[in-house]
Amino acid sequence: MPKIRTEGVSKRFGRIVALENVDLEVREGEYVAILGPSGCGKTTLIKIIAGIWRPTEGRVLVDGRDTTRTPIEERDLGYVFQNIMLFPHMSVKDNARYGPWVRGFRPEEVEKASREALELVGLLQRQGFLPAELSGGAQQKASLARALANRANLLLLDEPLSALDARVRVELRYTLRRLVKDLGLTAVHVTHDQEEAMSVADRVVVMRKGRIVEVGEPRRLYERPRQLFTANFVGQNNFLEGRVTGVRDGVAAVELRGGLSLILNSDSLKPGEPVVLAIRPEHFALEPGPGTNILTGQVEETRFMGSFTRHRLTLENGEEILVDLPPEESRLKQGEQAKVFFNREKMLVYSRPPEGLREALKLE
Amino acid sequence: MVSLRIEGLRKSFPGVVALEDVSLEVKESDYVVILGPTGAGKTTLLRTIAGLTKQDSGNIYFDGHPVDRLASFDRGVAYLPQNYSLFGHMTVWDNVAFGPTVQDWEMRRRDQIVREMLNLVHLSDRRDAFPRELSGGMQQRVALARALATRARILLLDEPLRALDARLRMELRQELRTLAKDLGITTLHVTHDQEEAISIADQIIVLRRGKVVQVGSPQEVYDTHQDPFVANFVGEANFFEGVLEHSGPRNSVVTLPIRKQVVGRPTDMAQGANVVLGVKTDRCDVKPGHFEAENCFPGVVLRSLFLGKRVTVEVETKVGFLKAKVPSDRAQFASEGVEVTLRFPPDHAIVYPVPVGGLQAALEVE
Repeated sequence: MPKIRTEGVSKRFGRIVALENVDLEVREGEYVAILGPSGCGKTTLIKIIAGIWRPTEGRVLVDGRDTTRTPIEERDLGYVFQNIMLFPHMSVKDNARYGPWVRGFRPEEVEKASREALELVGLLQRQGFLPAELSGGAQQKASLARALANRANLLLLDEPLSALDARVRVELRYTLRRLVKDLGLTAVHVTHDQEEAMSVADRVVVMRKGRIVEVGEPRRLYERPRQLFTANFVGQNNFLEGRVTGVRDGVAAVELRGGLSLILNSDSLKPGEPVVLAIRPEHFALEPGPGTNILTGQVEETRFMGSFTRHRLTLENGEEILVDLPPEESRLKQGEQAKVFFNREKMLVYSRPPEGLREALKLE
Repeated sequence: MVSLRIEGLRKSFPGVVALEDVSLEVKESDYVVILGPTGAGKTTLLRTIAGLTKQDSGNIYFDGHPVDRLASFDRGVAYLPQNYSLFGHMTVWDNVAFGPTVQDWEMRRRDQIVREMLNLVHLSDRRDAFPRELSGGMQQRVALARALATRARILLLDEPLRALDARLRMELRQELRTLAKDLGITTLHVTHDQEEAISIADQIIVLRRGKVVQVGSPQEVYDTHQDPFVANFVGEANFFEGVLEHSGPRNSVVTLPIRKQVVGRPTDMAQGANVVLGVKTDRCDVKPGHFEAENCFPGVVLRSLFLGKRVTVEVETKVGFLKAKVPSDRAQFASEGVEVTLRFPPDHAIVYPVPVGGLQAALEVE
């Protein structure tokens, strides 16, 4: 039995459709991230799961029971908000005590639960502080402790890291994942940050315009995205439009604009079919290898980016691609003509979307 | 466009020193990013340059001329605060035309600049829209066009991308740089996001607790970090505390408490000094199996965090908990519980004196 199941959940605010027919299952003990751009409906979905909002249609089952009409106070879950919502006049410890107290734990149980929760997030030493005396990251840890102190085994995290500095977010990702797994909780975590989603979750649900686009494990979503939108939203990608010119023995030839030609593996393509090819910037190399394709272009810009060096190339047909190489392997100079190679197995192929490529990739 | 020079800038608020002896130089038309954690003094620095906050002491020069006595309005700066707000009852066009209108520009000149600015931010076809009808990214572009329409000589951006989605930020940060470069305008851009800083800056100024801790190109700041804080803030780093055993022209050797030795870049510190050796996690690698060699640390994988292009592998070793951030197709073997060896090349490891107050305090990012 799944821990959470939404069945045909839709939500409309007046004429605006925030969610449309969402079916989602979260298994017991699973950490699921709901990822998508602003306005995709991810926050609406988690609020409906939490019981803060009711769906216009459909229902929510938690542990097999229909909880669609159960108010949040009666649900057994912990909730962490994007905007830290600690009680400002209460100490960190009293904030952590609040949930167990409201739920009618016995006094010694209230003490024990709050203490354990504070210990888990590493705030026991600072339990007497008021929220305002803590940094943003520590405040969000206190919020997490408050949610954990309920001893609920379902944790809902609504953009829990978005208000924090980039560097602090990276630290807290580790904390979140470790806690959820160590305590054997089921967690649903809403975010617009693809790296955050992939690093914390067992499975990622990609949403757009009120619908689920695709669900998958992080590595699968990154390496084999089934949808063009995912291929662009989860990590960066180069997209090249073309037309299949021939297919033989599982290998297809694709002609790009300007007469450029590439080879790719495919059993299902038909000659004449319009396609979009996707190749990640990090999959290029300066040396040929097995199953190699070649692209030639002028290096417009090279830029050090820390763990890699990014190159912007204009191909012979005028299209631009990004090529990322390890800094120690990067010897391309601005202004020169360069050949870059990539393994055709790394290239993904999609049917050209009826609405056009731009529309299919649009981030807002 | 102007060059900027700041000398000995100091500003305190009751109970807090926001800026402490800040000196820096910005070349004409450079894109400079001021990077630091919340509370570092970044916003105060921008506001002081804009003339919206008065410094306690120190001087600010545009093209060599002091501007300290000039009102904000007369400095020729375009300042985009973190919580900018567009005029909700005005169209995109009127928002952008606001500055020139208030400054009483001649109508033809005003219309021309507004058209130019809207072109620049790709919003010409939305000139009659109201802000609420636009997406977050578009609103950001309108705010930028409005700030630029007064023909400023210097552009000050305070966390311009903070309110936007992560993926969209990656697109817009490139746009910002391109725009500033096309205009040739000298730009200071404040952020807490090191990736953003590295990807767009000509120069990065790392600020912490009101002080400049390092200035340099992205590569200098990334690869030649001047202290453990910079090493860990701009990226992520592993640290080893020990005693400097030897330092020669090619490398230096540090002995760890478990009597193991690690090798790093040369240092001019004296033999026997207590030191910290730092290496970026993405200059570390993991290989399956256990082996001993220079800068090799055998251990067991605690966890692998998949980040897309890269994986952070956390390894429990005899010297503690170490991380390696490696290309994801090279780390598929590194699942939990697997025996691995983490290693790194000596020329990416830097030796520092032990920070006053200890290593942990020196690394705090908040």
